[in-house]
Amino acid sequence: MEGLLLEPTLYTVKGMAILDNDGHRILAKYYDPTIFPTSKEQRAFEKNLFNKTHRANAEIIMLDGLTCVYKSNVDLFFYVMGSSHENELILVSVLQCLYDSISLILRKNVEKRTVFENLEIVMLAMDEICDGGILLEADPASVVQRVALRTDDIPLGEQTVAQVLQSAKEQIKWTLLK
Amino acid sequence: AIKRDKKEEEDGGNPFQNLDKTSVLQDARTFNDTPVNPRKCTPILTKILFLLNQGEQLGTTEATETFFAMTKLFQSKNAVLRRMVYLGIKELSTLAEDVIIVTSSLTKDMTGREDLYRAAAIRALCSITDASMLHTIERYMKQAIVDKNASVASAALVSSLHMSKTAGDVVKRWVNEAQEAINSDSIMVQYHALGLLYHIRKTDRLAVTKLVAKLTRMSLKSPFAVCMLIRIACKQLEREGGDYADSALFDFVESCLRHKSETVIYEAAAAMVNLRNTTARQVSPAVSVLQLFCSSSKPALRFAAVRTLNKVAMTHPPVVTSCNLDLENLITDSNRSIATLAITTLLKTGAESAVDR
Repeated sequence: MEGLLLEPTLYTVKGMAILDNDGHRILAKYYDPTIFPTSKEQRAFEKNLFNKTHRANAEIIMLDGLTCVYKSNVDLFFYVMGSSHENELILVSVLQCLYDSISLILRKNVEKRTVFENLEIVMLAMDEICDGGILLEADPASVVQRVALRTDDIPLGEQTVAQVLQSAKEQIKWTLLK
Repeated sequence: AIKRDKKEEEDGGNPFQNLDKTSVLQDARTFNDTPVNPRKCTPILTKILFLLNQGEQLGTTEATETFFAMTKLFQSKNAVLRRMVYLGIKELSTLAEDVIIVTSSLTKDMTGREDLYRAAAIRALCSITDASMLHTIERYMKQAIVDKNASVASAALVSSLHMSKTAGDVVKRWVNEAQEAINSDSIMVQYHALGLLYHIRKTDRLAVTKLVAKLTRMSLKSPFAVCMLIRIACKQLEREGGDYADSALFDFVESCLRHKSETVIYEAAAAMVNLRNTTARQVSPAVSVLQLFCSSSKPALRFAAVRTLNKVAMTHPPVVTSCNLDLENLITDSNRSIATLAITTLLKTGAESAVDR
């Protein structure tokens, strides 16, 4: 029974992926260089993963010695991978955070088109959820807050009068503080 | 909006399809324009990062040129663009040369007043800092670990752990800060602090004993931290050997079966099952919990439960017999992994009658 106990480590996530409904990668990150070290191996894994999961809405599967939890919506598939010994519920927390954060960012229109329209924010969100295999933040509201577009990122024409006033006030405040 | 529609038509509806590496890298020359135009530069940087994510390879020269062009974007105050630059720094840090050129820009952002930048800047900075450079930012790292902003503290703790691989001796000196961060109100900071602290202390058996004794008494708020503590406690139990009859550590793990978080309850049950020297009586509370999880509506929890019961069936098959009915129900589970695990578990408990049915 040697080695069954889980290693006390923060490195719990082996990978995260968002695939489209043809199984093509939209975004994917692998955090453990010992699994799928090359892009080719990653693609092969993703293809296999997609083939095994795109019809069965089963939430969890063992594949290539990894525990993969997943969730799909319209034309997107979200995956989180961990070691086969990892606590499955922690992996589910990561998946839920990934999905809910993106859903908040896209204002509930979780589909391929909106992901591509907001790709930079989705990239930033993934980076806020997992850092090098460590779960960095599990609360979607915090993730969204950390990647939030602030008023000065909205083009002037699309801002409300109140927002323009607010940002003007801020700017005056900062000038005074300097 | 009209302009975008036109562009989308040209690109077949998706501006990220059929991107050509050479032309995207050429577009990156726009980064040198002054003043920086975020509305032009952000999509270009996004395309570069997208190509890298798709597995596109950059040569050292290409990566270095792109990296240096990207550093020009530090002149912009646009938050999204700045954050994308941090991401770009991390992605290119291992491919480009002379990446330490951005050290001062990142140190400035790390110590600045914009919280949105500070945390992300720390993570980017640590990706380009090597052991020999670490002492120049050591003071800031120690401050960041105990920062009252949770994202800053977490970023510093997680980055410290990454850097302990290459600069273990320096990171070891931050043990007091990590200890202080365990008391944080943020559940993630508490989790990350425990992870770093354990990593620093793990070779010192006495220190770990003290740490576990203290933390098991103070009831950590973070379920993730409690899971981590369960794992540490079990490592200690294995190290100490012997039976668990009067062990405070074993009692702690068992007490976690009554935690309010399912994640912790399952962690404790799985830990007890995987401990080497348990008696049948000692694992039976864990088995009762797993039995309840077998009828959960969540597939991941049913999967976790049956996978763990499968292990108990190898060490203490009679204890699992009480779950046979629940396992039989799982044979027809819509998730094939669950169904397969249920069948193999039943075979081990020797319930041939069930298999016949």
